[in-house]
Amino acid sequence: MSSDYTYDEQGQFFPFFILTLSGLVTLPLTYNLLRPSKDLENTAPRIKSDFKPEHADLVEAQKRKRLRKERRIKRIITVILGYIVMAWMVYLILVTARTTTKSYDPYDILGVSRSADEKAISRHYKRLSLVYHPDKIRPDPAKNETVEMLNDRFVELTKAYKALTDEEIRNNYLQYGHPDGKQSFSIGIALPKLIVMDGNGKYVLLVYGALLGVLLPYIVGKWWYGSQRYTKERVLVASAGNIFREYKDDITDNGIIGALASGEEFKDMLKGDKAESGLAKLENKVLAEESSFLSAKDRESLKNLDSVTRRKALALLWAYIGRVDLGDAALNAEKYEAAPVALALTEAFTAIALAFGNLRPIIGAFKASQSLIQAVPATSSPLLQLPNFTDEVVKAVEGADSKTHLTVQKFMHLSDSERRSRAVGAGLLTEKQYTEAISVAQQLPALEVSKAFFKVMGEKSVTPSSLVQLVVKARFIPPGCKDIPAVNQLDLEDIDPDEDDLDALMGRKPAKNRATKMVDGKKVEVKVEKVQPPLAHAPYLARDHSPRWNIFLADAKQGKMAVPPFTFTTFDKPILNEAGQPTFNVQTLKMQFQAPPQVGAFTFILNMICDSYLGLDTQLPITLHVEDPAKAAALEEEDDISEPDEDSIAGQMQALKTGQAPKKKTRKASDSSSEEESDTDGDAGDTSDTNTETEDED
Amino acid sequence: MVDWLSLAVPLAYLGILIGSLATFSSLYRKRKYQKAATLEPWFPAHLQRDIYFSLLHLDPSAQKEKTPAVPESVVKAALLRRAKEDIRRVLALRSQKQALSVLLQRGSVGDDLWQRFLRAEKEMEEEVKDVVAEANAYVPNWGQTIFQSANEMMNNDIYRQRVSEQQEKLAEEKEWWSKKKATTQEQFMKELNEGSEAASPSVQSPAPKSPEPASEPISESVPAAPAAAVQPSDDEAVLVEAEPSNSGTPSGGKKKKGKGKK
Repeated sequence: MSSDYTYDEQGQFFPFFILTLSGLVTLPLTYNLLRPSKDLENTAPRIKSDFKPEHADLVEAQKRKRLRKERRIKRIITVILGYIVMAWMVYLILVTARTTTKSYDPYDILGVSRSADEKAISRHYKRLSLVYHPDKIRPDPAKNETVEMLNDRFVELTKAYKALTDEEIRNNYLQYGHPDGKQSFSIGIALPKLIVMDGNGKYVLLVYGALLGVLLPYIVGKWWYGSQRYTKERVLVASAGNIFREYKDDITDNGIIGALASGEEFKDMLKGDKAESGLAKLENKVLAEESSFLSAKDRESLKNLDSVTRRKALALLWAYIGRVDLGDAALNAEKYEAAPVALALTEAFTAIALAFGNLRPIIGAFKASQSLIQAVPATSSPLLQLPNFTDEVVKAVEGADSKTHLTVQKFMHLSDSERRSRAVGAGLLTEKQYTEAISVAQQLPALEVSKAFFKVMGEKSVTPSSLVQLVVKARFIPPGCKDIPAVNQLDLEDIDPDEDDLDALMGRKPAKNRATKMVDGKKVEVKVEKVQPPLAHAPYLARDHSPRWNIFLADAKQGKMAVPPFTFTTFDKPILNEAGQPTFNVQTLKMQFQAPPQVGAFTFILNMICDSYLGLDTQLPITLHVEDPAKAAALEEEDDISEPDEDSIAGQMQALKTGQAPKKKTRKASDSSSEEESDTDGDAGDTSDTNTETEDED
Repeated sequence: MVDWLSLAVPLAYLGILIGSLATFSSLYRKRKYQKAATLEPWFPAHLQRDIYFSLLHLDPSAQKEKTPAVPESVVKAALLRRAKEDIRRVLALRSQKQALSVLLQRGSVGDDLWQRFLRAEKEMEEEVKDVVAEANAYVPNWGQTIFQSANEMMNNDIYRQRVSEQQEKLAEEKEWWSKKKATTQEQFMKELNEGSEAASPSVQSPAPKSPEPASEPISESVPAAPAAAVQPSDDEAVLVEAEPSNSGTPSGGKKKKGKGKK
């Protein structure tokens, strides 16, 4: 071993090293662990309801089980271990600091400051020698002193004085802190001597080999294969493959549930003999005549499944959706456990359906998520979402043999006495159950579109291949609301963000402040906040779920999707006021996409689907007029004079009446059109044009 | 003189290093091939092909007894059926290819699935070539048209299946409709009777309904409530349902039936 390096014999330094290392790991982990979760599910308000379903305890147990799984025990243990190591190291540092030898410091012995000059030092020495000279003082028995000690002390003092009065030595002290002048650097390694001692070599090598040769490859391999096992939707790769193979262009409600049951996640859930146990009983119960939501084909498809696990998973899902009581606590628990798993798998199915682009399976995917969250078959009545509603009650409400279903909104639209007469009665709901159901129905977040239009930011018309914004203005109108205020026309306008708000202009994030117009035409900046709708009221789902609204455009003629869904989870204005009453604020939802490269009118169907509630979907036709840039420019010149009209309320009303927001734009001119044709000169004129226009209103 | 002992240590080190890497790589490859070989097939067993081949290789001499040789028409029919199944599979693969490559790029499906897909594609290519060659062996140039006729057969099958699906619904719909008609008729008759008995028109009937449930005499209103409940909802449903069920299913079914027979 080379002796150039000194090892850490007293163990002074390696605790610092280890403290730093463990701190680097532990402190970020602690933050990660203690940071309040920003998940949607943890911050949203809830729908107030006292309703407890039949197996509320089982559902709760599953919820707790899921929470336990998510608690990250490993991380907690790591953090605790890290703190223990850190505490130990701090203790070691404190203990060893005391044993380190102090180097010889004459200033310290004399008790003078380093800035003192020679005169001051000698004066001080004289004073001390008067006090400490062995001839002057006697040993003090109380302090346990002897004559030698006194002598030694005085000798020390004299030595120090001698050292300091020598010019050279004093300078050395002042400059280098050592009487002999500059010292050579000594490099030490903060390793305890133990490691480098002769006999321990092989053990150290063994540990080193284990760390680098075994542990490192293991960790990297585990991470790599772990990340490879899951797809982007956090679903097992094998499940995604199975679902892809199950996908058919005409797959619908129960078929989708069947596809979801092919997920590999169910194999984890139904390990060992769990797949077999109770399967016969389960199938008997599920396939009983009462479950009317299953067609003969569905029943056949269940019987034709070879894999036991898949068969059981499918039967459990159907039992869950049909709210079939399985008469066995274990089976019922499995039923509630299966639903959140399937819900996670719908993400994968949605992604696959989107890749195919066929409209029916895409809508089917959202409907599957609705029915899994609410435990209502997609073909059954949406009324089953309300607490205490059973098939009998629904039958009484809708009429014995009606083929269409009442949505919650339609049901709540009936007068209270009418509703009561249909739903309350012997064998139906009691008075208390009825009020419970109605109170939940009145809290459902039904989003109603007030207006939807296309626009290009800063332009007047949509030109080919431009970046179009679809602006949807909608209000939350809970079912059964009376005296809904009329929509404020000014709320329906969409004002571009400030020109200096680059992020918003680029569409990277919503505008910081949104301008809204007051009645007198003034613009007011309003702070944009994020408001979450309440968590989905899903008493049967063993998991909290925040509703998501998906908006997409479909091409009805071809049955294909035109613009993929944009998902909205938060809104920009409060939904409820402090008293818990709906505010009927107009919410703005925006999505961006590229306009088609051809000129013409494109008719789309705007679909707005909430993934958590049945029957709250909206479909409306909407037309995108793509204008020829040259024509739009020509129109601008003609129309320049009538421009101010557009902002008046009368103009707005006119636009609304004709229902053609884009048309108004077509009449107006586009800036980009002239931009493309003309030189910079015209360009500058255009921008100034827009400027004056917006400032007009101030 | 070489100091063999001191040289042995680095040599051993190199040997162990290279040896372990080589073992790892060979094991890894072996496992990879094994995995590729055991990849689940994309499609289930090709029944039609199996039938065709067993017909083809049915050796009449082996079965001593008087089993007649398989007539050529039967073998040809089996080949056509095999082509039909092939074309169904090829179409399925073609429709899936684009979606699958998009999903693979996004990371929504695994690489395994893509490998399986590619293999199925290759297999189908070989299969189609084989069918063309077989067809040409029976009749020259049949290979060029066999897939056209197979395609038509397939479309016909799909068409028939859809028709039969609609036909199956017929009885149920018929029953539902007759029931519906009976109940509405009953309602109208009742209303008519009421209208003729009481001088006041039937408009009056909804009027007493609303106060009755509000006062909540449950035992009293039970017989009255269902009647009141059924009446408006039925009217509503009739308005909505009458058109599609009347003009849609039965007439459509008849039309299709006629074609199907032909």
